[in-house]
Amino acid sequence: MTLLERILARVEKPARYVGGELNAIVKDWRRVPVRIAFAFPDVYEVGMSHLGLHILYHVVNSRDDALMERVFAPWTDMEGEMRAHGLPLFSLESQRPLRDFDVIAFTLQYELSYTNVLNMLDLAGIPLESQDRCSEMPLVVVAGGPCAYNPEPLAPFLDAVFLGEGEEAVHDLVDTLRRYGRADRERLLRALAQIPGVYVPRFYRAEYAADGRLERVVPRVDGVPVRVSKRLVRDLDRAPFPVRPIVPYLETVHDRAVLEVFRGCTRGCRFCQAGAIYRPVREKSLETLLAQAEELVRHTGYNELSLASLSTTDYSAIKKLLETLVERYRDERVSVSLPSLRVDAFAVELARAVQEVRKSGLTFAPEAGSQRLRNVINKQVAEEDLLRTVEAAFRAGWLRVKLYFMLGLPGETIDDVEGIAKLARLVLAKGRECGVPKGRLSVTVSTSSFVPKPHTPFQWEPQAPLEVLRERQRFLQDRLKGKGLVYRWHDPETSFLEAVFARGDRRLAPVLRRAVELGCRLDGWRECFQFDRWLQAFTAVGVEPGAYAYRKYRYEDVLPWDHLGTGVDRDFLVAEHVRALAGEITQDCRDEACVGCGVCPNLDIVPRLLGVGKDVPG
Amino acid sequence: MYRVRIAYRQEGPARYVSHLDVMRAFERAARRASLPLAYSSGFNPRPKITFAAPLAVGMSGCREYVDFELEKELDPAEVLDRLRENMPGGLVPYRAQAVAKGPSLMSLVQRNRYLAVGEAPEGMDQETVAAGLERFLACGEITVERQSAKGLRRKNIRPGIHSLAARLEGGKLYLTMELKAGSAGNVRPDEVIAALGRELPLLPDVFVFLRTALLGGDGRLLWDMKGDVDG
Ligand code: SF4
Repeated sequence: MTLLERILARVEKPARYVGGELNAIVKDWRRVPVRIAFAFPDVYEVGMSHLGLHILYHVVNSRDDALMERVFAPWTDMEGEMRAHGLPLFSLESQRPLRDFDVIAFTLQYELSYTNVLNMLDLAGIPLESQDRCSEMPLVVVAGGPCAYNPEPLAPFLDAVFLGEGEEAVHDLVDTLRRYGRADRERLLRALAQIPGVYVPRFYRAEYAADGRLERVVPRVDGVPVRVSKRLVRDLDRAPFPVRPIVPYLETVHDRAVLEVFRGCTRGCRFCQAGAIYRPVREKSLETLLAQAEELVRHTGYNELSLASLSTTDYSAIKKLLETLVERYRDERVSVSLPSLRVDAFAVELARAVQEVRKSGLTFAPEAGSQRLRNVINKQVAEEDLLRTVEAAFRAGWLRVKLYFMLGLPGETIDDVEGIAKLARLVLAKGRECGVPKGRLSVTVSTSSFVPKPHTPFQWEPQAPLEVLRERQRFLQDRLKGKGLVYRWHDPETSFLEAVFARGDRRLAPVLRRAVELGCRLDGWRECFQFDRWLQAFTAVGVEPGAYAYRKYRYEDVLPWDHLGTGVDRDFLVAEHVRALAGEITQDCRDEACVGCGVCPNLDIVPRLLGVGKDVPG
Repeated sequence: MYRVRIAYRQEGPARYVSHLDVMRAFERAARRASLPLAYSSGFNPRPKITFAAPLAVGMSGCREYVDFELEKELDPAEVLDRLRENMPGGLVPYRAQAVAKGPSLMSLVQRNRYLAVGEAPEGMDQETVAAGLERFLACGEITVERQSAKGLRRKNIRPGIHSLAARLEGGKLYLTMELKAGSAGNVRPDEVIAALGRELPLLPDVFVFLRTALLGGDGRLLWDMKGDVDG
């Protein structure tokens, strides 16, 4: 019995650590010069639900000269065993230690997974800081992920950061490694810094004013860009897509086949970072989608096909797509699902087409409780729309409706919060009016806390103080009592840390280090999250977290992420912020005219609505 | 309705897969293989795929069985071929046979045969092992503690040990055992090893377990493959 076998006999869900799933690719290391470990800083079930992993795995493994294997954050029991027995973190495919790879490619999906990044490096026996790694050690890379748009809190730990979509940039990475090798790290990093979209933090210096204010982040060496701008895939229709994804044995968070319908969302919700960083809209054509769906179903055997995008029902030929898929796979009992619904009757009609009615509840996201505040955030949902939509849903046979809101949005007053309770009661009343049996009717209100994210029109806004968020939650707890009403909320402490690290700069790196030493990890998991340890880490390093989360920036202030670009003009963000404060809405450029966010001219691209076969002039 | 019985091995990384996940893996493989599965009726139709007995996580199985119910008649050899092409590595179907409608596989299994292989402690010889086994089997009662929903429970497993034999070879100890199966009185091989540790100086932590056969009440193989053509 090997050491690993002995350990696996003692841990929960050992299948998390052994690989061997359908469609996993194991290559012969002797024949492949470039070896990349895709490191997902959370557990297997979360990581395997991430489409980006499947895409990059497919792209890299399609090359003869490169291989990609996977590694995830071990659960606490496994970590304990690994540390007790000196077993270094290893990949699933070949079970080799991470140290043997050329590249470790992390994806940064969530600020609260940063401790897992550090902890995984430590478990792999790799020095945490870039400067301490020699040529014998792998090069550490952040591959994409929304948090890469402000990687500053992780700057000392990362060798290179890839901004934007990775399908094409990963080829540049492999080519550069082949060309330069890794013997001379400095030379290699210099070469990487030449790749468009690649940011090498060590070639930049952060300068602070005497009062602690960030003055600028500037190149310390010649020949690297002053500002790094994101990469994107121009033609999603012809981009590589994994139609033979790995099919896990374990039940994952999204345990279904995933078909990406389009990328980008231009609805322009002002709090939404995804809406800002994935612009513009790029649809796949109907033919491509149908062909990819067919292959996915054949090669995976899943009984559910999920149409994934930021706002899938916005696809220009959504009705045709859904009807065709439902019809085609009905006999094989493969169902089709939509991850989110917009608030209109059309969406209910679509949901009816795909879902076994009553099977599940319907979820809508009005995000704010009053029309005034919805205008502020540019969420274009009127109360009448919502009521008409839920009416359609109840009449179609649904019994449960879930409503998502955010607390602590800029300018939120207690009246807006009251508005959430009022809306919920109106929806409940609508349900009764439609004759939904009293015992089975349920309206769930779910709130999260607003986090001001970089590169959005709200990047200058402070987060609402913890006490305010807690108080508003209590307020809703009081108001949302009664038969048929359920209230759920996210812990504001995690949102607070999210805000701190989302808006953070390089001075937070020692805090992360300290937090990991104090035992913080898997912070996205309630059973692991320890807020007091975090506060201890901030105190130990002498950083005041509130200074990051609660800071209201002025337009002339330098933001820690100003040297990194999404293609959206800063002026557009300022204008949007001003309009938000004035309660003015901005149209979606998908079907209205261009509203001038700047992405299209800056990146020389146009929105593509291939579902109806057209390019929209930007 | 047609029923095809498949014998398969569960090995390598797949031995860490739980029974529930093995069931899903077969279901997906059957769908990839376009087998004409029969479904249960009702609100949430499920394919009719039934297994003989769950295999504990971490254990390999050399001769596991599963029954597929099909809507159309299909040559068992063809079912086998199609499944083999569509299974993830580690789940390896190797025989197929059409079976008449009858009692469920699950109800047929009365005993399990296991092989446990572990490092023999330094200085252990055949005589010590034989004597230890003899003492162990002579016990009228062998109690083990089990964690149940209602707390710790004591249970006598001796009646569930139908046979136990040991062989020492190349510094390794090979234990073969036939243990009672089924919801009433199931005995686990790791419990037997742990209990045997009272008579022999074993290191219970270092055993690898294989389930080598599923047996009926008479101790005979559920499916005697002698004379079958290899699939
Ligand atoms: S530049 Fe215009 S068309 Fe292009 S994404 Fe921005 S608003 Fe839309």
